[in-house]
Formats: sequence, structure tokens, C-alpha cells
Amino acid sequence: MSDKVHVTEQKSGKKRKVWGKDMARRELKVVDPIGPDDLFPLPPPYDKVEEQPGWKELSEDAKANATCSLDGIATTKLPNPQTPEEEQKYVDQFVEGLKKLLSKENNWEFLQPLTLSIEYCVGCQTCADACHVFLATDKKKEIYRPTYRSDVFRKLVKKYVSPGGKLLAPFTGADIDLNWDTITRLYELAYRCNLCRRCAQTCPIGVDNGLIAHEIRKLFSQELGWAPRELHEKGTVLQLEVGSSTGMNPVVVKDNVEFIDEDMQDVTGFSADSPFDKEGADVLLIHNAGEMLAWPENPGAFAIILNAAGIDWTLSSAEVGYDGVNYGLFYDDVQLARIALTHNTIADKLGVKKMIMGECGHQHKALVTVADRVLGGAAIPRESFLPFLEEIVFSGKIEFDPSKNDFPVTLHDPCNIVRNLGIVEPQRRILRYLCPQFREMTPHGADNYCCGGGSGFAVMSPYNFTDWRINVGSRVKFKQVLDAFADQPGPEVKKYLCAPCSNCKGQLRDMLQYYGALDKSGITYGGLVELIVNAMVDIKEPFIHWEMH
Amino acid sequence: MSASMLLLLSYILLAIFVLAFVIRSVKLARLPVHLRWELSPVPHEKGKGHYGGSYLEEVDWWTKPREKDHMAEAVYMAKEIVFLKALFEHNRKLWWLSFPFHFGLYLLVVAGGLLVMGGLLSLVGVDMAGWGVMGAGLTLLAGAGYALGAFGAVGLFFVRLTDDNLRNSTAPATFVNLLVLLAMFVTGLWAALTVTGFTGHVMGFAGGLLRASVPAELPGILAAHFVFAFLFLAYLPFTQMMHFVAKYFTYHKVRWDDEPVTAGSKLDLELKKLLNQTVTWAAPHVRADGKKTWVDVAMDSGRPEEAKK
Repeated sequence: MSDKVHVTEQKSGKKRKVWGKDMARRELKVVDPIGPDDLFPLPPPYDKVEEQPGWKELSEDAKANATCSLDGIATTKLPNPQTPEEEQKYVDQFVEGLKKLLSKENNWEFLQPLTLSIEYCVGCQTCADACHVFLATDKKKEIYRPTYRSDVFRKLVKKYVSPGGKLLAPFTGADIDLNWDTITRLYELAYRCNLCRRCAQTCPIGVDNGLIAHEIRKLFSQELGWAPRELHEKGTVLQLEVGSSTGMNPVVVKDNVEFIDEDMQDVTGFSADSPFDKEGADVLLIHNAGEMLAWPENPGAFAIILNAAGIDWTLSSAEVGYDGVNYGLFYDDVQLARIALTHNTIADKLGVKKMIMGECGHQHKALVTVADRVLGGAAIPRESFLPFLEEIVFSGKIEFDPSKNDFPVTLHDPCNIVRNLGIVEPQRRILRYLCPQFREMTPHGADNYCCGGGSGFAVMSPYNFTDWRINVGSRVKFKQVLDAFADQPGPEVKKYLCAPCSNCKGQLRDMLQYYGALDKSGITYGGLVELIVNAMVDIKEPFIHWEMH
Repeated sequence: MSASMLLLLSYILLAIFVLAFVIRSVKLARLPVHLRWELSPVPHEKGKGHYGGSYLEEVDWWTKPREKDHMAEAVYMAKEIVFLKALFEHNRKLWWLSFPFHFGLYLLVVAGGLLVMGGLLSLVGVDMAGWGVMGAGLTLLAGAGYALGAFGAVGLFFVRLTDDNLRNSTAPATFVNLLVLLAMFVTGLWAALTVTGFTGHVMGFAGGLLRASVPAELPGILAAHFVFAFLFLAYLPFTQMMHFVAKYFTYHKVRWDDEPVTAGSKLDLELKKLLNQTVTWAAPHVRADGKKTWVDVAMDSGRPEEAKK
């Protein structure tokens, strides 16, 4: 398509085909705008777009300062170069970053999987049907196709890094020019993927588009210093400086936990005392610290269960030791390693036998597997809370009455625990035992769909990004949840969406609130430990409350 | 083309193939071990692989012996290689073209192997082409391979040209790949259908290659087919068609690599070497100064005061 036709069609509002080389076209204000009309319709009573909150208009200030030329959605304020020379400086930095990403010295961490994914995609598009973001747009938005981002990146590598790249470009299809627009749009595009890796799971070759998105994010962070504020300044940097991405220092954490313990003890009649810094304890439990602020019943429930089962456990009050969050997993290997090493050092100093990951998916993936080869063979062993709780639940140490959980329950599988770690059954065995009306979503287990909050999106709400992550990111998940409860759709039957992961809970909370799903369908959400405590025979009051919190 | 020219060309193209194939495969194999990036399902997880489970479902997993089900892994891979299982399950429309295309190639590999063996045997005076149904059987096998391959190549060419879903991610090189293969399939099919004593000629050519003397009476279409076949082989290692080698690494070395590090293990030692490499990432928070190693950078707590030291 010629440039002339391209621009004419854009002006006339006619739908045009979007190509990879559009990423470099300065004349396009937005490559492929997204809005509510581009999405597949939800079932009643959520089928009327006009009854939903609507999408936030970007302010003039946001348009001027934030980068939003990909799809009209803004996540980050990037540098604002004033001259072509300044722009070129960033472009040159990007090329340097590309080279480092493909070098053994700077990127041994992912060089092999990255090389395989760059060189061997055959463009069969099998991945397209696996991607919840692309599916949300009824497979119409080319820029959300998993291969679109990867192809742009691949073409830039071929043209600007591979020997003879420019010469061979007409043959290899590397038709994308590198300029300021290309790199800023590519940055934006790296944050339109949840890194859930469902696409990689279906790829016949084993190409991983999620990994490519991850590596693009890493290039921008580690070479240019570009990353979303929520993940970097307010995430890993704050965590390493203060102790937690929530901003809580050790004193505040201890105060909060003490308050939670007292509150839980009053409500349940069970001991909810949480020991801190107990040397030589069997277990160091590390929560996502966000639980202590947003869902205090979660750490409270953990304390009740562990005390009732007579576990020798402790929390840590050392900076970073009380927050299992590790946003480095999403964008920066250096930050990932720094946080993981700190977790291990703290566990080592306490002399615990193992670390237990709380209800936080990315914490699992970061500390149990991805950082395994950074921590080395002498590290303190790490274990998921799921098999740990399963053993407690079926040990006979606690008496349960499953009839207390006699309401419809479905399970959301956090990608980082299930698809990426293969922890599938322990949570199901608990739910089948304690929840008589447990039912699965379709698909589920390792084939699940992401909640839409993965890869840090759950904590990112700048400008109009929340509209995107709810409407686009969570659309398939919301449909799945409604389908799971389709036998009792009305609000008169209270239903529980179990999401054993902090970031997933945050995203699902925003999703259910956005659609008013508690009022319209009677759906609330929570973790797994809440259901376990709710089923305990001797608990005084119901632990689960049918409210949006 | 004279027999000696064909012989020379065949040697050159075969040498390019072998050299480039080995170099590219070794390059892939020599890439450093990476951070764990496994992806469920991992079929070697005994008793758990079928539902996507792993050893991480076990309490105190590091204290238990790891039992790997290598047979399950082999069965998984066999289904994937022979039947293109992932494509069948997730992209049926394309499978109807891709499966015959690949299966045709598999048949040709088998037929080619037998024909080369026949060539070898002919050197010691054994005439395999004359063994009853062997000649006809091999012609049928190769003919089926050429026909299926040609059907798949034509179908894939047109579907990539016309289907909007595929067009955007299809490079000109992909069309060239398909045309090169198509030329090989079509000339092969033509030869199998029209050349009397097809298998005898092919075995004779293979034997001739081994003793550096090609029969002068090789039919033209067969000579053309050999040229296209060797051109394809020489071209193959430079293309993404090497994905059949890459697939070993993407599955076994990435998706299914769930090996935990144990103290003092070979993996542990290898990682220590990698961690001692110098890092040059330029973003300020990395604090790489061109001298610091990966360990130095990772041990830096990231606090502002450490930057001043």
C-alpha cells in the first residue's frame, strides 16, 4: 500500500490494514487506535457498552507528555527530545541495546531462548488464537497479534544488527526503519503483553513471543533506563531502598501485622500471632506485602492456619524480607537478581529450613525458578504455599466442615504458578475437598487465560491504561468467570472467584468493580486461605464477606 | 549439463550444506545455559506431565528423588514431529497443508536414505534396484513424497499470499523457500513418473557420487532434479527451515529444562563462570562501569549511597 493511500484512508476513517512498517511512520498520529467498539461483546447484562463506565479521555497534558502513539493508550512519560540529534541519540542507544541483548556477556540469562525465538518463527499464526489480548479484539487489532511485536523486533535485529542486514532487507522482509517513533512505539507495544506465555505453549516450533516482549522491556530498562514508574521507581527501586514496593518500612510492617493479628483473633477466636525474625524456624513465610494493606484477611488467614497446624514459622522484618514482590521479573534482570539475592540472604541469616511463597504468582516464578540459576546451589530451598497448605489441610491437624463453603466457587489459575511452574493439582485437591460447589473454568489449569493483570499491569493505572487493562486485558477472563457461573447467573446466589495470587486479585477486583459484577451477578473474589479458614469447624463467624473489598 | 559438471556442482552444494548445517547447529548448542524458563506441560514429569504438573507440587521437593519419564517425553516429541500435533490441535486449517508438506519431506528422507544405501551397495556389486518390488516400492515412496510435498508447498504458497492472517508475518524469503522446495518436488515427481528405472538411476547416481564418477546417461529431468535437490540442501542451513534443529533446543533446552541447581554440580560451576562476565548495560541504575561483573552488579543493593562509594 502506498503512503498516499495509507494517509488518505486514515483521514477518511476507513479501516486500513496495519503493517509492521507503520511503526516508523511519523505521519500516523496513532498506529492503530483502540476503543470499546473494537472488542467482542460480553454476554448480558454486560452487553451494553453505554452502561459501562466508558474510556477515559486523555488530557491535553497527557497527550503532550506521555507516549501514546501506538493505540492511543498511555503508560509512561518518556523523554521528550527537542532536536533530531537528540532523537538520534536515543535511537543509537537502542541499537547498542539490541547488540547487548544478543551478546553472551550481557544477556547470557536469556540468549539461547531469545535467539531461538528470533530466528525460527515460521509465521504460522498458531499463537494468535491463544492470546487473550488479541482475542479480546475479535482478532481484528493487528498490533496485538503476538507475532506483530516479535516481527517488528525481529526485523530491526535483521536490518540493524545482523551482518548485511540492510542489503538483505528486501529478501528478509526487514522493511522497518528505525527512528524515534519506532522505538517509542515498540516500548509501548512491549507493555501490551501480559507475558503469560500462552502463545508459547501452543507454538509448534517453541517460539516464545512473551519472552521477546520481556526482552524488549529489558533492553529499554537496562540500556535506556525506560520502564513504567510503577514497576521501577515505585516498584523495585522503592523495594530495595525502603523494603517494600508498598513503601512500608519494617516498623510499619510490624505494626500492621500486629493490628491484623489482633483483628483476626477477635473475629475468629483463633491465635493469629505472627512471629517475626525467629531464628532457626522451619519456615520463613514471605507474603506479597500488598496483601497487608489491600487484603489483610489473607496474611491473617495464613497465621491462623499455620498456628492451628502447629507449624514452626516466622515472618521477616528485615527490609525486602517481608515483601515477596519482585517486579524485576517483568522488565529488568538486574533488579530481579538484586531482590532475589536479598530474599535469600535474609532466609540464610535466619537459618530457616525453607522459604514459603505466599499467595503471589510472580513471586513464585521469580524466586522458585527464574532466580534459581542466579542464587546458585547453596541457596535456601523455596516452596509454593500450595503443596505446603495441601499437606496441612489433609493432615488432620485442623477440623473442617466443607458445608460452610457451600456456595459456587471457581478457580483462576495464576499463570506464573500454573503454566510457568506446573503447580496445578494441590489447589484443586483443597477446593474439591472444602468447596462442595467448586467448578472449573474453561479452559483451566496449564491452559488457563491470564487475568489481564500479569507482568505488572495490575499495579499500573496511569492515564487511560486502566481502561485498556480491564476492557482488553481482562475481557476473556471476565467471560470465562461468567460462563463458570452460568448455571446461577443472578445476584441472589453469592459466588466466589478464588484467585490465589495478589496481582491477579488486584486485577480481578478492578474488573469486577468496573462491571459491577457483585451487584449484577453476585460475584466476589478472594484467595485460597480465606476459603480454608472459612471451612474451619471452630471458627466463630463466617470469614468470607460478600462485599467488594 | 555434463556429468562432470553435475558431479562438481553436487560436491560443492553438499559441502556447503554440511558445513553450514554443522556451524549453525553447533552455534545453537554452544549458546550459554540460561535462567530457568520452563513451560507447562513438561512431559517428563512422571505421573504429572499429562495434566501439566511438575515436581514443584511436592512438599520439600528438593529432598525427593527426581523421577523422569523419558518415554513420555519421546512419545510427545514423536507425535509432534511426525503428526505436527501442536498445529493439529491449535491451527487445524493450516495443518491440512502443512502436514502433507512435512510428511512428504519425511517420505523423501526415508526414500532418499534407502536409495543412497542402494548406491552404497551397488559399489560392492549388490543391485538393490533389481530386488523384486524394491524398485517399484521406492519409486512409489518417493513419488508419494514428491506429490504430498508439492501439494503442501503450492497450498502454503497461496494461503500465505492470500490469507490476511498470514500475509503480515510472511517474508519474501518464505515464498522463495517454498518455491525452491516446489522446484525440487515437481522435478522429482516428474522424474519418478516418466523415467524408466527411476530407482536404478538414483542409486547409480548416489554410487557415482561416492566413487566420483557419475553415469553419463543420466536423464535430463533427473539431472535437473538433483540440481534442485542439492540447491535446496545448500540453501537450507541459511533459512528458518532449520527449525527442525531449533525445535530440539526450544523443547528440550527451554520449555522442558526444569533442572534445579545443586551445589557443586556442573550447572553450578557453569553458572559461576557466566556470572563472572563483565556487564556493560548503560542505564544508570545498573551501575555497570565496564569493569563490574554480573555478580558485582547483582550484589549492589541498588541503594543510592552505594553509588557514591
